[in-house]
Amino acid sequence: MKKVRVLVLTGYGLNCDHETANAFSLAGAEPVRVHINSLIAGEERLEDFQILAFGGGFSWGDDHGAGVIQATRMKNNLGGQLLEFVGKGGLVIAICNGFQAVVNLGLLPGFDNDYTSRSVALTYNDSGNFRDDWVYLAPNEKSPCVFTKGLESFDLPVRHGEGKLYAEDAVIKRLQENNQVALRYALADGSPANGKFPENPNGSVDDIAGICDPTGRIFGLMPHPEATVHYSNHPQWTRIKEEKKRKGEAMGDAVSPGLQIFINGVNYVRENQ
Amino acid sequence: MPSCLEISLKPQLIDAHGAGVAKKAKSYFGIALDSVRSVNILTLDADLSDGQLERLRTEIFTNPVIQVSSYAPLEIDFDWVIWVGYRPGVRDNPGATAVEAIEDLFGLKFTKDQAVYTSMRYCCKGKGLTRRDMETIAKEILANDIIQQWKVFSKEEWDPKTGVGVVIPKVKLDHEPSVSTVSISSDEELMRISDERNLALNPNDIPTIRSYFLREDVLEARKEVGLSEPTDVELEYISQARSDHCNHNTFGGKFFYTDLATGEKMVMDNLFKSCISDPTKAIAARKPWVISVLWDNAGVGKFDDDHYYSITGETHNSPSNMEAYGGAITGIVGVYRDPMGTGKGSKLIAGTYGFCVGPRDYDGDLKPRLTPRRLLDGIIEGVKDGGNKSGIPTAFGQVCFDPGYLGKCLVFVTALGLMPAKVDGGPSEEKTTSPGELVVMCGGRVGKDGIHGVTASSEVFSEHTPAGHVQIGDPYTQKKMHDFLLEARDQGLIAFITDNGGGGLSSSVGESARFSDGCKVDLAKVPLKYDGLDQWEIWVSESQERMTVSIKPEHEKAFFALAKKHAVECTVIGTYTDSGKLHITYKDETCAYVDMDLLTAAFPQWEFEAEWVPPELRGLKEPVLSAPADHNMLLLDMLDRPNICSKEWITRQYDHEVQGTSAIKPLVGKERDTPSDGAVYRPVLTSESGIAISQAVLPAYSAIDAYHMTACVMDEAVRRVLAVGADPEQIGGVDNFCWPTIIFDEKQNPDGKHKAAQLVRSCLALRDLCNAYDLPLLSGKDSMYVDGHLPGRYGERHKVSALETLQFTTTGLVHDVAHCKTMDVKAPGDLVYIAGLTKNELGASEYYEHLGHLGLNVPKVDAKANMALYKALYKAMTEDCAASVRGVYRGGLAVHLALCSMAGCLGLDLDLAKVPAEGADRDDALLYSESAGRFILTVAPSDKERFEEIFAGLPAACVGQVVEAPVLSVKGLGGDEIIRTEVQDMKDAWKKRFGGLI
Repeated sequence: MKKVRVLVLTGYGLNCDHETANAFSLAGAEPVRVHINSLIAGEERLEDFQILAFGGGFSWGDDHGAGVIQATRMKNNLGGQLLEFVGKGGLVIAICNGFQAVVNLGLLPGFDNDYTSRSVALTYNDSGNFRDDWVYLAPNEKSPCVFTKGLESFDLPVRHGEGKLYAEDAVIKRLQENNQVALRYALADGSPANGKFPENPNGSVDDIAGICDPTGRIFGLMPHPEATVHYSNHPQWTRIKEEKKRKGEAMGDAVSPGLQIFINGVNYVRENQ
Repeated sequence: MPSCLEISLKPQLIDAHGAGVAKKAKSYFGIALDSVRSVNILTLDADLSDGQLERLRTEIFTNPVIQVSSYAPLEIDFDWVIWVGYRPGVRDNPGATAVEAIEDLFGLKFTKDQAVYTSMRYCCKGKGLTRRDMETIAKEILANDIIQQWKVFSKEEWDPKTGVGVVIPKVKLDHEPSVSTVSISSDEELMRISDERNLALNPNDIPTIRSYFLREDVLEARKEVGLSEPTDVELEYISQARSDHCNHNTFGGKFFYTDLATGEKMVMDNLFKSCISDPTKAIAARKPWVISVLWDNAGVGKFDDDHYYSITGETHNSPSNMEAYGGAITGIVGVYRDPMGTGKGSKLIAGTYGFCVGPRDYDGDLKPRLTPRRLLDGIIEGVKDGGNKSGIPTAFGQVCFDPGYLGKCLVFVTALGLMPAKVDGGPSEEKTTSPGELVVMCGGRVGKDGIHGVTASSEVFSEHTPAGHVQIGDPYTQKKMHDFLLEARDQGLIAFITDNGGGGLSSSVGESARFSDGCKVDLAKVPLKYDGLDQWEIWVSESQERMTVSIKPEHEKAFFALAKKHAVECTVIGTYTDSGKLHITYKDETCAYVDMDLLTAAFPQWEFEAEWVPPELRGLKEPVLSAPADHNMLLLDMLDRPNICSKEWITRQYDHEVQGTSAIKPLVGKERDTPSDGAVYRPVLTSESGIAISQAVLPAYSAIDAYHMTACVMDEAVRRVLAVGADPEQIGGVDNFCWPTIIFDEKQNPDGKHKAAQLVRSCLALRDLCNAYDLPLLSGKDSMYVDGHLPGRYGERHKVSALETLQFTTTGLVHDVAHCKTMDVKAPGDLVYIAGLTKNELGASEYYEHLGHLGLNVPKVDAKANMALYKALYKAMTEDCAASVRGVYRGGLAVHLALCSMAGCLGLDLDLAKVPAEGADRDDALLYSESAGRFILTVAPSDKERFEEIFAGLPAACVGQVVEAPVLSVKGLGGDEIIRTEVQDMKDAWKKRFGGLI
């Protein structure tokens, strides 16, 4: 089978690189953890990879706005390479702090093939605090997002203090019309959270949890799919196990929706490149 | 010319930070603010052109989607403005990252004189606000005068052109560094100088120090390097190393213990050796999974053939008591350096916290420096930033309120690490320094921070305690260093590694040089934050985020190349030698030259008088109390008690899932809102094995007897990891003692002998339980002097001592996380079992406390009986014939049955007559006794037979069943239903106290 190489960024306070790499391994890809400075120094080259992962963490301590300094550093030192990578059809997944970096870089929302303009922000949660909890998510089946294809309502952990998606009304409208809103915070039954806390954990406009660019190849989201690729990551797994036991079923090794997101990305590369 | 850049959210956006300030002002002080808008200010003290200033404004510091900014004060409506900035020399983390970003954008390098300072401006609006209101908000909510300064502006005072003005909190010492010598003409003279310089030398040590420096051969050798009388660098080194914080003189002391009831006397020579290290060594010899204990920064246990885990616990009480946020963040970030400096270095995989503070709503006459509420807010936030920004899951935690902590709060922080079993083909847990290797300092720079922190925590807190030792941790710098050092370790570049904590370089270099038997270090090479530090200050500064590493000269190039890649500052400051001397120079001048074995020389042992009066002779007795009639209301009130009620608001602020390893979370149950017995992590993502971690603290029992306090704390911590699935054969412990002063003084500490006896008894219990449970102590620390002197109503000062406190942390191996259990009941029809005997042990219980009594019958641990039960429990769990498992802890059966029911959102039908009991013959005793060694289990009917087979012959019985209707129903001994409460009502009662906090 065709090799799919994934570059997972590390360094400067990023901290989800190991589990993000692990998720890609389980999805059948070949992940490499690469320090931002190794990429800048040219020790690794983006063109040797098909997927670029901006992972979670606290780059530069999240000082001066989450993801802001990471975006500045990458734009100044790698801006051209990034645009080339995106232009050639590379995939980008940007999770939590990565999502924050990517909107500051302008890789999202990517209207009109413009991958440098900042028009979406991820800012302080309305609650004013960091929050670790699980949320329900409703994928938009009309979205071109390659990572969420075929997913039905599911749950993932959120762990952030600055995850409220905000943009001017016109930008939000355009995201909605283009179906670039790939994931929304939802209630347990998959219906919209309508801003209700804690189902919508941060006050995001239109319950937006994740967006993609118009091609669907660049995807940013606040929840953490890489933190739920093993059955025991789920907060209710001991309950699920007892429920199944009483029906005479075993836990099984069903693919979690979190892992499916990575598999979708890897499969897309296999099928399209 | 410095510039001030003001940045604010666009007016149409919610200012969550400002809203938080308004909320606190209202709920803490009744000050009604209509709105608070916050403005971030960057004061740029560097030569930047107008073009550069504009570029950095637009390209870095202003998000065009949500922010506005300007180099002139932003026009924001207000009635009052409060400005808050740091004092000079306080770590300004965002200021430092701003410098990094600007340097990167323009490809320039800031000089030592240039910097960026951050501060905040709050624009407050409201009717009738006074300057006094503003001062209260500034002083009690926004700033702590130890680290921050503030200004209040009325509308009239505000100049829209200059705004808050330019404040540059730059450290200017204007001081030529110098080494001074200290006269040792007499013991009195040296003592006088020690007091004058705040050296905190123990009077008993002074003759030993003097006789060393007066020895002929010493004088001779010193003459050759140009020294005669001891230098301040040398005395500081000795003082730090001999401090109780570093040297544990109390635990190494000699205790003359008398039982005043029997007249029996015993001498306990060295509690550390007899009760901690000897038992642990013997147990470790029987348990091959114990890899390395009692010498390194953390203890090491086996995870699997390819991995070891490392664990240690610390406290950071004194600094947190003065500056809660700074103390707590420095504490957690600091303890994370211990596993990093264990063996050849561990990756951090989890942390835990324990906070002991005064009652949150305390409103009495005593005036602590920070109110318990403010203290707790700050501590919570410090651990949040320290843990979350380090990318380390905060696995577990506990909060304990007691008036005894008004004098000094306790902040426990524990760190769990993981390392490969082999590094570069050799054992990872071993390390040494060798002559010729380079002494490298990695991480942050050195400033005046934390000087005399170690000696200050060895003293009782008073208004004279120097505040200079409060720091602010920098998890960002440390995370970069963590990633760098692990890569260096894996490349085989690290020969030795240890952290710079208490005592700074004097301690890390001093201790690491013992392996090679000498070192030569040039203090002039140490990178400084600012000029003007004296040599002794460089030597003992506790500036954070630093590790000391020994590398072979041939690895220097590779090591430094890697440091550059990770943007970590590293400096070679000297070499290890085998000269037998600690040789410190400043450039070419020697400023310290002492024998390496000086500190192991015959310093006098500390001695303590300990007198024990058993509780019944101290007048303690069981209260005369008739049975309560309203058990429903009693249960709801018990659930609302501060030490029982939900603290979900704290847990949710902590990232407990980063690294993708979480298998049992700190909050469990159908609605993910109930605290688990312990947490389980699966630190190797390709393995099914896990590590369980939990902890316990039960200071209330010390009011009766610290022996039983200790035994119960250890038993609870053990049960907590068993309840989630740990193998009873592979549990390790970490002891963290926090004790009030035990040195007897007729006036200052009249009950010192009692507190000393309590310490002896606690250590004996530690030894006994370790032996009974075959439980090795992987690590431990002690923090003495948990006392404070608080001003009262009339200007008098009260000494407030904490209850004798032990926090015990347990780690346990989980062979396959598939067998882990949670405490929430799972399905209607499941049978409810109680395992372990309930006795009449209400002494110092939550129930008695609720009713205003202390009592006498403190719970006692029957370790031998418990062990048989624990093994059966483990068997039942690994065979999956228990659906839920819960230990019974503070609050007793009633509270913990209620929690199991609430967590599963299902009802329970129970009969107290069926509870296995001994001597507990009343409903209230059965419901609220806190007997150790007990569990609540639920079992699917299909597993009943096998479950009962496993527990045959043990005190375990079915007491009822799980029911669909969400009602807790309990039949009393008289056969009547004494409790009938809706699950939702219990949840409401349990959550209402802190439910509004986020």
